[in-house]
Amino acid sequence: MNAKIKLEHHDAQEIRYTTCYMCACRCGIKVTLEDNKVRFIQGNRNHPTNQGVLCAKGSAGIMKQYSTAKLTQPLMRKPGTERGEGIYEAISWDQALDTLTDRLEEIRATDPSKLGYFTGRDQMQALTGLWAQQFGTPNWSAHGGFCSVNMAAAGLYSIGFSFWEFGAPDWDYAKYFIMWGVAEDHSSNPIKIGLEKLKRRGGKFVTVNPVRTGYSAIADEWLPIKPGMDGLLAMSMVHVLLKHEKFDYEFLVRYTNASWLVVQTPGQLGDGLFLRGENDHPLVWDIDKEAFRNGLDGDIAPALFGEYVAPDGRRVKTVMSIMVERYLDERYAPENVALECGLPAEAIERIALEMAHVAFKETVELPIEWTDVWGRKHDKVVGRPVAMYAMRGIAAHSNGFHSCRAIHMIQMLLGALDAPGNFRARAPYPKPIPPHQLPENNIDVINAPNTPLSRPPLGFPTRPEDLVIDEFGNPLRIDKAYSWEVPIASHGLMHMVITNATNHDPYALDTLILFMANMAWNSTMNTANIQDMLRAKDPEEPGQYKIPFLVVIDAFHSEMTNFADLILPDTTYLERHDCISLLDRPISEPDAAADAIRYPLVKPDRDVRPWQEVMVELAGRLKFPAFTRPDGTRKFRDYPDFIVNFERSPGVGFLAGWRGKDGSQSLKGEPNPNQWQKYIENQSFFAHHWPDNQKYMRYANKDYLDVAADAGFVGKVEPIIMQFYSEPLQKFRLAGQGLYDGPQPTNQVDRERLMKYFDPLPMWYEPLEQQRVDKEEYPFFALTQRPMFMYHSWDSQNVWLRQIMAQNYLYMNARRAAEMGIQDFDWIWVESHNGKIRCQVKTMEGTQEDTIWTWNAIGKQKGAWGLKENASEATRGFLLNHLISELLPEKAGERRVTNSDPVTGQAAWFDLRVKIWKAAPGETGAWPQLDVLKPYPGDERYERPDVLRYDARSHEKN
Amino acid sequence: MHPAFSVIFFTVASGAGFGLFSLLFIADTFKLGGGFSDQQLVIGGLVALGLIAFGLLSSTFHLANPKNAWRAFSRFRTSWLSREGVFAVVFMPLALIYLVCIWFDAPLWLRETFGFLSAVLAWITVFSTGMIYACLKTIRQWNTPLVPANYLALGYASGSLLLLLGAVVAGLDPAPFIAMAALIVSIAAVLKAIYYFWIRSTGLTPTINTATGFTRAKVKLLDTGHTHGTFLTQEFGFQIARRSAGLLKIVVFGLGFVLPGLMLVWIFNEQGGQTAAAVAALAGIVGAAIERWLFFAEARHVVNLYHGAQRC
Amino acid sequence: MRLGLVIDLDVCVGCHACAIACKEWNASGTIGPLSDYQPYGAEPSGVWFNRIRHYEMDEYPNNKTINFPMSCMHCEDADCVTVCPTGASYKRAEDGIVLIDQDKCMGCNYCSWACPYGARELDRSSGTMKKCTLCIDRIYDQALPVEERQPACVLTCPAHARMFGDFDDPDSAVSRTVRERGGFPLMPELNYNPTNTYLPPRRKPVIPVDTRPRGGLKESIKQFANKLVRR
Repeated sequence: MNAKIKLEHHDAQEIRYTTCYMCACRCGIKVTLEDNKVRFIQGNRNHPTNQGVLCAKGSAGIMKQYSTAKLTQPLMRKPGTERGEGIYEAISWDQALDTLTDRLEEIRATDPSKLGYFTGRDQMQALTGLWAQQFGTPNWSAHGGFCSVNMAAAGLYSIGFSFWEFGAPDWDYAKYFIMWGVAEDHSSNPIKIGLEKLKRRGGKFVTVNPVRTGYSAIADEWLPIKPGMDGLLAMSMVHVLLKHEKFDYEFLVRYTNASWLVVQTPGQLGDGLFLRGENDHPLVWDIDKEAFRNGLDGDIAPALFGEYVAPDGRRVKTVMSIMVERYLDERYAPENVALECGLPAEAIERIALEMAHVAFKETVELPIEWTDVWGRKHDKVVGRPVAMYAMRGIAAHSNGFHSCRAIHMIQMLLGALDAPGNFRARAPYPKPIPPHQLPENNIDVINAPNTPLSRPPLGFPTRPEDLVIDEFGNPLRIDKAYSWEVPIASHGLMHMVITNATNHDPYALDTLILFMANMAWNSTMNTANIQDMLRAKDPEEPGQYKIPFLVVIDAFHSEMTNFADLILPDTTYLERHDCISLLDRPISEPDAAADAIRYPLVKPDRDVRPWQEVMVELAGRLKFPAFTRPDGTRKFRDYPDFIVNFERSPGVGFLAGWRGKDGSQSLKGEPNPNQWQKYIENQSFFAHHWPDNQKYMRYANKDYLDVAADAGFVGKVEPIIMQFYSEPLQKFRLAGQGLYDGPQPTNQVDRERLMKYFDPLPMWYEPLEQQRVDKEEYPFFALTQRPMFMYHSWDSQNVWLRQIMAQNYLYMNARRAAEMGIQDFDWIWVESHNGKIRCQVKTMEGTQEDTIWTWNAIGKQKGAWGLKENASEATRGFLLNHLISELLPEKAGERRVTNSDPVTGQAAWFDLRVKIWKAAPGETGAWPQLDVLKPYPGDERYERPDVLRYDARSHEKN
Repeated sequence: MHPAFSVIFFTVASGAGFGLFSLLFIADTFKLGGGFSDQQLVIGGLVALGLIAFGLLSSTFHLANPKNAWRAFSRFRTSWLSREGVFAVVFMPLALIYLVCIWFDAPLWLRETFGFLSAVLAWITVFSTGMIYACLKTIRQWNTPLVPANYLALGYASGSLLLLLGAVVAGLDPAPFIAMAALIVSIAAVLKAIYYFWIRSTGLTPTINTATGFTRAKVKLLDTGHTHGTFLTQEFGFQIARRSAGLLKIVVFGLGFVLPGLMLVWIFNEQGGQTAAAVAALAGIVGAAIERWLFFAEARHVVNLYHGAQRC
Repeated sequence: MRLGLVIDLDVCVGCHACAIACKEWNASGTIGPLSDYQPYGAEPSGVWFNRIRHYEMDEYPNNKTINFPMSCMHCEDADCVTVCPTGASYKRAEDGIVLIDQDKCMGCNYCSWACPYGARELDRSSGTMKKCTLCIDRIYDQALPVEERQPACVLTCPAHARMFGDFDDPDSAVSRTVRERGGFPLMPELNYNPTNTYLPPRRKPVIPVDTRPRGGLKESIKQFANKLVRR
């Protein structure tokens, strides 16, 4: 007999739509509430990002909401206790904000650069950046510098959009897809949705990754590459394509700078720059008119190959000729890179030719009429259906910028960008190459008290004059971004802030604000030593720390909060207003520009405030011009008011939907006082679906560019010509060579780095750390990745997710382990040039033989994240971070330089090399073990029972 | 399989109880060794019932929700566990009536009828206990007719040794009891030996390949999807080293069969008397308990294939 | 009707989304709550109806990683039902869903012994056995939008590696997919006739390549010629 099935109490339930915040994917979610408790979180079917599906993190949002790691009230380090001891006193918000305001007022009125403000995984950089700009400090960035700036910068200096959040593969038409070094990553749900589409349609999926887990598990072909060799592999594929003359001639002529002419005057000023005509236009040789002509014009027939003599007598050569000469060289032949890459030459050649076959023999043609930016009409769109995506495995190497450029080089050669079946741009991209935004570098503005910066702190330098340095070449930023050491550090170098601030190099900070960044644990390199730096006292200022005042804003009891002098508790994502803006990190899809909001669904049960609310409040208290009326009163009541009424330029604000007084305008329009309500009515997102004629080839699509210019995505309607050859890089190289007509570095280290690594064409070099360590002594590459169900979410405090993984193991190739006498679950020591750790091993087939890896950020410090001291995360879980130094190994006669990509400053997490050996009998448990963190005042409200029985249906319980 | 103490105690105690009761009826009917007195019979019967009752009670400790235990009689038609419960419960009143008949000197036909019925039910109940395990296709080591045969043989062997102890204590002629015990213990030993040899060969059983459906290549577990134990690993993950199992088997044979056999010889030679009989009974029961522990410990549920076992 | 799931091993990336969605729905669903033991302590564990295991096939470098979600197979010949002494476990005649009546279960674990797939887990707090209900409190809930009347795991699966439907209907999407893709049951030799069916990874697509192009291979820049192509 059937039992009675109890159905939902729909009458007691409410349905709300908002946006997930468990990672950078930012999916639309449908939340069912029952008696103010969260009953169910599911994907929103109508949302462009996730189309109804939701990952493990998203569904586990309930357990994040009810986490016992949540901070409960503002806390001040108890007077008389030392930083890092973790002894705090509860204070009121008024006290906290008064203290902070006084301190910030003083800094702003004297030396604004003494404030450092760095943010971790936030999704509101447009606001935090504006805040820093208004404060007047250049010392702001988000976490891109240790995350994926290599992808962003390589893309934005090459194709005008990029891997990471500024583009996505066209899953509907792609027939061949190569995934380079993607850990389970950004766009997690879209990629899963897409891989399924691709495979169902019979497309081929190739993965280039030393480890076969996650997405790579379902790849049709796995290329277990040695870490850091991806660029070499890509350039070898370019070699094959050139050798077989498999490139899209028309695409190269029309949409790239392959035909532009490069001045060939080695050893002289101006060598390697483009030959330019009047108005500084780059020139091409027109084979029809037999004349030098403007390379941006439409009616030209440029020579793709050849050497010419400019009217002034200088020899010039097309970019394509330079490329062919370089990449056709036997150095890049598959058989000559096979050993370094760890891949069979046959596979390298075959994959390149498979791509060429699909691109040129299986072309997709869509009958869509469109107009190019030169005004010509086309009756169809032609797609060469090869798509690519790349992420951390490429980014986190010190050669990642060039490796990523090499991948873009393949895409350009195949003519496979932003057309059907390609990697396609997501609004507001593509942008001019690079985007027209320069970092503030006027020292007078930077030093001026009580004065905002005239430009944002971050941008895209195109020449040495754009660097943020003083007249002596010293960095003006605490992280040394845009200095000679890392000139194109477009996302800053958050991973250097604590080290530099502690060393007072280039200068001392007064206050450091860290928002949602675990810089004392898994988000920093060299964890244990960084903790010591945070505790370091200044011998010259008795009683004062090297970093005098540290403010940490977080929603949870992270390891970082334990070092704060002032802790400001944030809310959860279900408790606050937020906006995911086109001015920021877009959630657009290739077929639609999109943004989204969050609004409070659950009332906080503790004394916490959303940080954006607090920022708006502080901006008012500090009387930032953009936040203050002429009469000195606050311009914005609160964060929602700010979002609606702030305009970056007339008609352009944080939210693009339902603009105009009556809400009838999209993308641009006057502020609409009912904008939040309109978003809530529309399931908390806005999508502007591009009409067919604006969907493709947007770098040269007039109809699209008209809209983009109007909406402020681009400055004006002009072709975005893709850059095989990067002139900005060449200008920096010339500076290194002493051949630049402008600022030049004086330090030999800087000169060498510029000469070596600022190649205008994609190049490969051995990762910097590996150039300096003994490969015999340290035979293994060491990597980390995040598991899919915890990607970007640090969710060890999540009682459901942590059941899936409460301890990380060190994975290694099974055969290699057997050779070393290492078995599953053995405890081993892992040592790098920077230190050693002890952890437990698991063997597997799907790991490249010279590689070891682990799941990152599973290991926790005892007492953190609301867990009990004996939690496996703390006793057996471990961090690889201890082994990674934020500085390169020392070299005689050289100052210490950052362990980062020399072009972009991207943290080189994956350059690590290690040795391993079996621990002695009895040596078990993770090592090192740092102090046990103490619970904070307010923690007593959490019970932490031995059995948890979560049930949203409170009224039904006995 | 996780060897749960409550289940081991239950099966050993109730098996011995049912065996003792059945054999007591035979001893009564055939007046073995001169015949027990009525009082002795009732005491013996109560001892058997006590073992059974304790066993059944113990089995309820194994239940996570014992308040619903009464429902266990409802699926007699399909479930051997339900059948065992029903038979055990039906056995009880019949057995009591038999003892009452003895105590109040009821007509012989009545006494014999109830004695016979309860002896048959005892046999069926022990058979059902064996079938609880034998019917599971998920556990190769159990899914064999040898299992109910073993349960019966060991239950009756324990019962026969207890009965012998009773006979010696009561001062009866031990010879027929020795003969009976020798026969049953020998049968049990033979069956157990066959069982132990039989489970050594793996035969055609599910493998990690058939479990996952990937039959063309070697399949290895990479990760179970949970760091720590689950209900499945706790219930089914128990594994005993081959060496330990081998040693324990020697102990089972030594304690369960050889030592009682020696004691039988001793008693037969009129040397040991009560002590020898007590040692025989105790050794037999302890041996049976170890056998039962091993019976669980050696059983490998097929779900272990999903946790990485190559075969079960 | 014979309701059940199809699991597509060709596209499952092993993200555990289905497992968490299942946990989330059922924690407050008809069979909930689902206990979590030591949720903040040394060895966290709990009651789940859907677990994802990961396997490796063959050896490096020819290995393939397989992500393998498992939940109740809703077998046609469900021994877990046959062996249940209390009648708590039952298989519904109308749709084949195997359920456990929480008001009848005595927590003897016997059904879990009979299940080869590890689908049943005891909740120590309630003392009862629990398992996948195919979200029976969703699929028949007329108050939910039609497209959401599906098990939570199916709704959420980002790779659409899970399908729900009626295997008795030869024209249903699940039946057709199983036919077309060569779906297979797990451990068929035990004759439980599981309803849930797995789809194997597909064969690698073959793409023709031409290693010797017409005109030969280019060795130097001199072999390339300009074409008259207008922008």
